[in-house]
Amino acid sequence: MGLEQYQGDMAMCCRCSACKFIPMQRVNGYQYANVCPSIARYDYHSYSGGGRLNIGAAMLKSGFNYTDKLLDIVYNCQMCGACGVSCNYAMDMEVLEPINEFRIKCVEDGQTNPALDKVINLLRKQGSMVPTKGKRGDWASGLKLKDATKEKVDVFYHVGCLTSYDKDMQKLAKATAKILQKAGVNFGIAGDAETCCGGRAYQMGYKEDFLNQAKKNMAMIKKAGVKTVVTACADGYQAFKVLYDKYNLKGDLEVLHISEYIDKLIKDGKLKPRKKVDSSVTYHDPCRLGRLGEPWIHWKGKKVPGDRFVFNPPKVYRKGTHGVYEPPRDILKSIPGINLTEMIRIKEYSWCCGAGGGVNESNPGFAQWTAKERIEEAVSTGAEAIVTACPWCEKTFNEAIRDTGSGLRIFDIVELIEKAIQ
Amino acid sequence: MALSKDIYSAFEDVVGAEYICDDPVIMPSYHSTEFAAVILPKNTTEVQAIVKLCNKYKLQFRPVCTGWTGMFPKGIIYLDMRRMNRIIEINEKNMYAVVEPYVISAQLQAELMKRGLHFNVKGAGTNCSAMLRGHGHLDQTTSGDDRNHLAIEWVTPEGDIVKSGSLGSSDEWFSGDGPGPSIRSILTSAVPPGVTPGVFTKAATKIYHWPGPSRFPIQGVSPNYSLSEIPPNFMARYFSFPSVEKMWEAEIKIGESEIAFELMGFNVSMVAANITTSNEEEAEVFERLNKEVQGPGFFLIIAGNSTADFEYKKRVLQHIISEADGKSLEPVEDPKIEGILLCQCIRISASIRETFRAGGAFSSIPVMSQRDLTIKWAVGAGKAKEPLIKKGLIVDDGGAFFGWGVEQGHLGKTEIFCRFDPQNPEAKKAVEEWHKEQSKRAFNERYFALLMPPSDEIGKGLSNYHVWWDKIKKALDPNGVTPEGGALV
Repeated sequence: MGLEQYQGDMAMCCRCSACKFIPMQRVNGYQYANVCPSIARYDYHSYSGGGRLNIGAAMLKSGFNYTDKLLDIVYNCQMCGACGVSCNYAMDMEVLEPINEFRIKCVEDGQTNPALDKVINLLRKQGSMVPTKGKRGDWASGLKLKDATKEKVDVFYHVGCLTSYDKDMQKLAKATAKILQKAGVNFGIAGDAETCCGGRAYQMGYKEDFLNQAKKNMAMIKKAGVKTVVTACADGYQAFKVLYDKYNLKGDLEVLHISEYIDKLIKDGKLKPRKKVDSSVTYHDPCRLGRLGEPWIHWKGKKVPGDRFVFNPPKVYRKGTHGVYEPPRDILKSIPGINLTEMIRIKEYSWCCGAGGGVNESNPGFAQWTAKERIEEAVSTGAEAIVTACPWCEKTFNEAIRDTGSGLRIFDIVELIEKAIQ
Repeated sequence: MALSKDIYSAFEDVVGAEYICDDPVIMPSYHSTEFAAVILPKNTTEVQAIVKLCNKYKLQFRPVCTGWTGMFPKGIIYLDMRRMNRIIEINEKNMYAVVEPYVISAQLQAELMKRGLHFNVKGAGTNCSAMLRGHGHLDQTTSGDDRNHLAIEWVTPEGDIVKSGSLGSSDEWFSGDGPGPSIRSILTSAVPPGVTPGVFTKAATKIYHWPGPSRFPIQGVSPNYSLSEIPPNFMARYFSFPSVEKMWEAEIKIGESEIAFELMGFNVSMVAANITTSNEEEAEVFERLNKEVQGPGFFLIIAGNSTADFEYKKRVLQHIISEADGKSLEPVEDPKIEGILLCQCIRISASIRETFRAGGAFSSIPVMSQRDLTIKWAVGAGKAKEPLIKKGLIVDDGGAFFGWGVEQGHLGKTEIFCRFDPQNPEAKKAVEEWHKEQSKRAFNERYFALLMPPSDEIGKGLSNYHVWWDKIKKALDPNGVTPEGGALV
């Protein structure tokens, strides 16, 4: 079906421009009213969520005309889903799904971005979205962690490509392992046998590559008899929890982000953050943990003929309402000495870090432009540090902080909890 | 259709390569029309240079802000004003704000609320430009449309920069009429075609006292927002009446006593659209609310400047409503619903729910005049909707109309629309016919309807204004570079 299934949704776009801004009630001033990095950076209406739908609808009608400008529009989007949240405050229609399908169609038609092709070639050869130096499981050497593919475990910790291979990010894997050990969780990793979740390939439009990865992962999980997967990467979380479910691959697997799991462990009294961590922080919601982390809703139906855009059976839209927003905040509040100050754009209308949708690879300048705006917003709160819950956010912010010379510090939530439980 | 290389280069020299595009792939996002090019100027100097080039090459152009409305001839230059998005000044002492075209109302309003001020936000929504023109929910206390215009910086159709009102003689924006050139009748044309030719690059608007909080205490996750508390000295209610006459009696008394911060003559269908988060829920809630009202009604916000003022206004309201046999719609008294209506109807943040959500399109006839007269016309236009509702061509709103008081009811606006699915050709045709017939009826019965064509017909009834307007237009735009129609929102 692809893009065609969203013909009605695309036609519903009334070009109101709500998709460019945070939900109107939440606009608290002149600054930080934008929600879509793409239109904020490139200005033409075509780069907005609505503009993308208008183009999609027109091309379905009159044929696909791939020009350099069109591909520039298609690939300069983090697929962060903020446009959909703002639109869906008022409207009942899909926004991100058709945008996603448009990109998938571009890839299927061979209209790819060379930088993304390079990444996907790496994925096909080495099962990773980032360059591989050494083995995937090297970070765990000496930690004596269980091998979930060989030993019986309750929880499988899927580490993810960036955290596994990037020397600066391996600290997150180690912190996560330490936290789970401290809480007495019977968990394991797949070490060198782990492979990419496929989520970022999906964001880039490479659906088949995503499905290959999803099938590999689910085969391994089934074989290991694991019932619960924990990820500390928002991309991995969305892939396992939402995308695998969308394509009927997830089954009854329980998928938890590490922030949800730690929050549960604290509330169950299995983790006690007692040590004071003096810091004033602000929290950045990763898109794929927040608004795009809400469960997939399986639905099939037909439009009811008549005056309204309604369906039989009624369609329940994913509007970003049920993302993971409170667990990370509850964790931060549970750490003695942490003072949390919120930015203007938070939760379902959070500003993207810039790394999603392949933009990190295809247009690093745009990714950095986006990250710098977030760093500026974080600094405006007076916080000493920005906390996030995804290695991709941390990496992008780190580069922006380095570039701007900002004194802001950055932490993943697992780093703070690791300090608090020492 | 396409610009020649030389002409394209000339525009490119003004805005830079990044801000001009003639690739047809982007055009569907700009109103599905074949434009010669889309150009995004950064400042007045660039606008002036573009307009002069349009005159030199005899190219038509039209400036647009966020732009959900507009009619565009093929082949014109589309000026996307997005890069001109600065708040130039908020002058608290002299009560005005100066903005560029792409500041949206939500931004300006939020800045004003922090300062204990607010302004007239268009009913089209707070997602639209904060600059000039528009009527809406807040008209009762902030008036609307050209009544709020102060000084304006205007690039004429020939490319001259005109500074109107006080700006023409000083750097001050406080007056639209002087000391300096007052060209209010040209710059604020409220009659068809309704759009001043040329480009407004900066404009000052009146601002007003805001008795509420610096921001609404919103809680929850979209689309389920609510207020954690009703701001002190604020109250929102919906009252229905046994007849239009009784409703009007209450409306006029409320205006005379100056107790309402907002009086919005919503029908219950619009209340239902506002307080629900999906189409299905809206239909259910409308059906339920429709059974609870006794007839036509309005939504009202009371805002006290002090507790004593608030109590006084409530007492007066109670007296007026009781005399007119009004009945409060109980669900709106629920603080959760009251809160979100308060917020949405002051921030004008749910207009899209009221209009586009149901079917994707709406067709409206707004009539500006005395409310009691225009309501009579609207009752007829509402009855004319009934056959369309029965056939399932438009959304069932009970044939209702809506409207509101302007300046405590001295004036008023009444409006009626049909919501429909524009993909359904039968519905589209039926709505077009309804629109044509009811607009004609408005004219024939001597109400002033904001019709685009036929201005010649309306003009005869209004001192032949159209003849004068044509002459003015020709003098301002000898090269005919500014096509008529559309609105800068």
